[in-house]
Amino acid sequence: MSDIITLSLAEQPAHALIADCIAADRFAGLDAKAIAELPVVHGGRPETLGEFFKIRGGLSSVVRVEGELARVAAIGAGMAGGELTIDGSVGRDLGLAMSGGRIDVRGHAGDNVGGARPGAARGMTGGEIIVRGNVGDEAGARMRRGMIAMTGNGGQGTGVGMIAGTVVVLGRTGPGAGRFLKRGSIVALGPIDRPATFRYACTYHPPHVGLLLRYLRNRAGVTVADRYVVGRYERYSGDLAEVGKGEILHWVGE
Amino acid sequence: MRINGVTIADTFAEAFTMRVARIVITGRTAKWAREAAIKLTGFATSVIGCKCEAGIERELPPADTPDGRPGISVLFFTMDKQSLPEQLIVRLGQTVLTCPTTACFDGLPDVPDRLTVGKALRVFGDGFQASKVIGGKRYWRLPVMEGEFLIEETFGMLKGVGGGNFLILAEDADAALAAAEAAVDAMTSLPGVILPFPGGVVRSGSKVGSKRYKNMVATTNDPFDPTLRAITESEVPKGVNSVLEIVLDGTDAPSIAAAMRVGIPAACRPGVTTITAANFGGKLGPHHFHLRKIVA
Repeated sequence: MSDIITLSLAEQPAHALIADCIAADRFAGLDAKAIAELPVVHGGRPETLGEFFKIRGGLSSVVRVEGELARVAAIGAGMAGGELTIDGSVGRDLGLAMSGGRIDVRGHAGDNVGGARPGAARGMTGGEIIVRGNVGDEAGARMRRGMIAMTGNGGQGTGVGMIAGTVVVLGRTGPGAGRFLKRGSIVALGPIDRPATFRYACTYHPPHVGLLLRYLRNRAGVTVADRYVVGRYERYSGDLAEVGKGEILHWVGE
Repeated sequence: MRINGVTIADTFAEAFTMRVARIVITGRTAKWAREAAIKLTGFATSVIGCKCEAGIERELPPADTPDGRPGISVLFFTMDKQSLPEQLIVRLGQTVLTCPTTACFDGLPDVPDRLTVGKALRVFGDGFQASKVIGGKRYWRLPVMEGEFLIEETFGMLKGVGGGNFLILAEDADAALAAAEAAVDAMTSLPGVILPFPGGVVRSGSKVGSKRYKNMVATTNDPFDPTLRAITESEVPKGVNSVLEIVLDGTDAPSIAAAMRVGIPAACRPGVTTITAANFGGKLGPHHFHLRKIVA
């Protein structure tokens, strides 16, 4: 048993590597040998995790993954607990349908962060994903619960079809954010292209946003300026093409 | 035993087990947090008539509150675990929810026994309320005319201690009041303790039941009423013409003892003859605070 399990990328994959076996809670009962034998899919062919990663430690739910992981997809898929830290940029489907724990990415992330499996009604149902960089399209798609925060920009369709939960974008939020959103919050600290199906409600100090940003700052070490913590936000209700109980909160000043 | 010439009686204060919650109220300014706290803790001196006992524990700087705003910590006591959520729901709903800019947080986050107070209050939102989970805790956002009221879904409940006390026996009313004020000043803002009575002081200490009226739960503590010394089995020594009581409720017995340890010496001022305490021979409650042991 070790305090932390470290996975270092030893062999750069030539194709997309689907590594949905990497999840902090899943490693809690496995030693290094068992982790290395976990299945992955490389370019459509079955391989094992040990063919690409050097693994140190075992029997822990605190996991660190190192390397340039832009071709590695589905890290943290279905994760239900533990802490997963990724030093480097990751591919698509990070935290796919996860239900608990925390994923912290020190780099960029691809499309469908915290999203749903193909054909599934729900994306992530709990936990936290923090990306210290930019995120691809449709982060938080169909998410039911939990929180996704990105310090950089969000791609197109951020929070599309959200059922509940929170997505925080510290940079620019791409077009189509929140389309078909039922409930849930998209908190945009930077510019955002709002869908026409969101209607302005008021400009106010939402108390939970201050609480949330302080949490990100104090608990996760995310740099958030005071002007956002104590600032005023425009509230847009939507998606009015759906039940309209969700919101886009857009920072407009102190 | 004497402190500054004041006799410390060889007796003990008798206290009983209560249920306690700690409520943290924040506001845009300390003024608004305090306004809500004052209303919340109003008419909450004694369970005898108020069904609860409550008081301000201390003011909290912004760095010590969940949302980084000025806050007030309130302790709230009832006799049993059923009435605590009932009282909190009614009182928070009418005082903190109504007060501009405030938010309401649990001050006992690590306590396993949880009261679903915020969850009950959410229905004021009439279906427009929304919840957020932040750091593993669920908060309810209630739309109000001002903007939004934020309240934590659950609050912790502990077994606390109610009814810690000591009596100040003085030569005259002025000396008794000055001593009581000094004691209150010394005990104010100590962690885990409140003084639920007006200004922290009780002038109408009571005994259990009545000698004359069957329906009365509590009546005047005639053994300590100076005006009745000539006609009752009085415990008022000669030369004493006024008695005031300090009542303390705490999150635990050591908190009350710590407060009494600073409060009793502070009350030993000129004009005070004796510090004693109220007890019922050990029949009322399991917590006994022996005055001489505490101040030794």
